[in-house]
Amino acid sequence: MVTQSEPAAVRPERSLTYQPHVDIRDRGAEVVFVADMPGARAEGIDVTFEGGVLSIRADVAPRGLPGRVVRQEYGVGDYRRSFRLGDGFDAAAIAADYRRGVLTIRVPRAAAALPRKVPVAGAG
Amino acid sequence: MPTFRPGFALPFDELREELDRVWTTLTAAPPLHGWGVRPETGAFPAVNVSESPTAVTIEAELPGLDAADVEITVHGDELVLKGSRPAEPEPTRADEAGTPAAEERVTWHRRERGCGSFERRLTLPVAVDATRVEARLVQGVLTVTCPKTAASQPQKVEVRSS
Repeated sequence: MVTQSEPAAVRPERSLTYQPHVDIRDRGAEVVFVADMPGARAEGIDVTFEGGVLSIRADVAPRGLPGRVVRQEYGVGDYRRSFRLGDGFDAAAIAADYRRGVLTIRVPRAAAALPRKVPVAGAG
Repeated sequence: MPTFRPGFALPFDELREELDRVWTTLTAAPPLHGWGVRPETGAFPAVNVSESPTAVTIEAELPGLDAADVEITVHGDELVLKGSRPAEPEPTRADEAGTPAAEERVTWHRRERGCGSFERRLTLPVAVDATRVEARLVQGVLTVTCPKTAASQPQKVEVRSS
């Protein structure tokens, strides 16, 4: 149900761009995305849901270390990633939370898209 | 030695991962040395190290950890980073917690974030003053500042004329 969207949507624009590692859990009433995005700021993160595509982008400022770099094992840059969810979600109720460098997004299913148990009436 | 718990190895997950790899190559972004499910090439956590005349600074990305989850020990020119990330860091929703039926319905579409414990030993370029080491963990980024010992700092030599 959740598929990667087109790469053009997340092509690097100016600085280094990374795809965050994500966990995606479908809990029935909602789909929960958890992304490792260390070094961002909550106000620098954009989460959008448009045309059935959930997009995450965060601009991360370079972190200058004092002095000369003697070992560099990882790069610092912006985060970009998109997922195609399709229809049946309540876009207005999507909630995102960023703490400890981890972004959590809850995407609730629209009430109409949830399974509904229909009571069967009987006469006599 | 880091220990990692592998994610669910469903056939569709493998296909998705393969597509992800191709996609990553196409977008030409350097690989993220993050906390992936499979051990990445090299030790964990990846570190960046800088040296100034007065201090050595070590930076590592540890998303999801609290300061209390990280243990740092320094002795001479050796620094050890230890810690762990719990298997289930994400809190469950209050209204669904405690409902076993709800938990059973959970489907994982993707599981890329690893968890478990790690330990990494680093040899610093010079000896540092262990008593003055300072560490900060802000939004998953650990920065350890290690002031050099007086003996490790550049010394100005006075030239005397006879």
